[in-house]
Amino acid sequence: MLRTDPWSEGLPKRCARITALFLLHAALSLAAVNQPVQFPHNTHMKLGLACVDCHTGADIRAAAGIPSVTKCMLCHAKLATNKPEVKKVIQYAQKGEEIPWRRVYGFSSDAHVKFRHAPHFEANISCATCHGEMSQETVAVRSIDFTMGTCLTCHRQRKASQDCAACHY
Amino acid sequence: MAIDLDRCTGCQACVAACHAENNLPLSDPESAAKGRAFHWIRVDRYYEGEFPSIRVKHMPVLCQQCDEAPCEPVCPVYATYRNDEGLNVQVYNRCVGTRYCANNCPYSVRFFNWFDPVWPEPLPLQHNPDVSIRMTGVMEKCTFCIQRIQRAERDAASEHRQVADGEIQPACVQSCPAEAMTFGDLNDPESKVSRLAASGRATRLLEELGTKSKVFYLERSE
Repeated sequence: MLRTDPWSEGLPKRCARITALFLLHAALSLAAVNQPVQFPHNTHMKLGLACVDCHTGADIRAAAGIPSVTKCMLCHAKLATNKPEVKKVIQYAQKGEEIPWRRVYGFSSDAHVKFRHAPHFEANISCATCHGEMSQETVAVRSIDFTMGTCLTCHRQRKASQDCAACHY
Repeated sequence: MAIDLDRCTGCQACVAACHAENNLPLSDPESAAKGRAFHWIRVDRYYEGEFPSIRVKHMPVLCQQCDEAPCEPVCPVYATYRNDEGLNVQVYNRCVGTRYCANNCPYSVRFFNWFDPVWPEPLPLQHNPDVSIRMTGVMEKCTFCIQRIQRAERDAASEHRQVADGEIQPACVQSCPAEAMTFGDLNDPESKVSRLAASGRATRLLEELGTKSKVFYLERSE
């Protein structure tokens, strides 16, 4: 098994590596994610769809989830089939492939955070608190960047658990 | 937790289950010889009597979740502490890898990540998403399957009820074919584990050290 010894790396090299990682993270969090389909959230929400209609896990599970392309086709088999972005969706469905969405939100594995949507939904935290007002947005971008301070501020205000092990394990 | 030594056959099912549940790295013989093998739970063997009337005692040893934990006061960064529920928690984000805690643990149940963990294919596909993959330079140990505790508590909260006795089962307890292990709330005097801990058979490992551990071993009958 190939293993690198992290302690053999010199301090300047280590500092440079950490700085590079930090800059990369900052650049990634600001840049819009290039999605395979330019999905307009605002158009769908104007039609009366709620977040949990497509992100069906947000109220009951840990992960909110991304809908399968078959769910898109429930409507788009008939509706707006002539629009270029909808045509892309139909092509994925006909090929029997899922749309390869790029992840917008989430924690890095280094953060050791175990986030669950359901308890936050039950505590009546609106989706917009963490994800921005999606009824005004088109393609999802990371409009709010989380730090542990973001989480803890809210946990303090609402007297939720501030135990480390509530989230980190 | 209570462990009935009359029932334990030393089959190691708990060890295997713990490895799978908690994403424990595999060890090779070379690192095991250096004392770097990872086993959050191990089965100690004790031989009693003289041949041929010999008796073997199998004793599963895991983090004893001590009330007076020797590992906690030596941590300079509060990476290990006792939370409100009485769990001895290890916070990977905080750990800076001094290894004082493992050196101060009388039960030898703490393990240090000298290297980033490596699994041969296809084992990475069976990682438990509810458990962190620990990185180089942090200490780790049995968590009493905190991911299962958290899940059961949140499920109960969303259903507006209390967690029932026996509802939470760590991987070792769930996998034990002899049902030697019992997990529950020691703060609840009515729980099964409390009744076992109050029975005359209950002892603690290295009780004379005053660690006030929360794993009770039910001694073997003669």
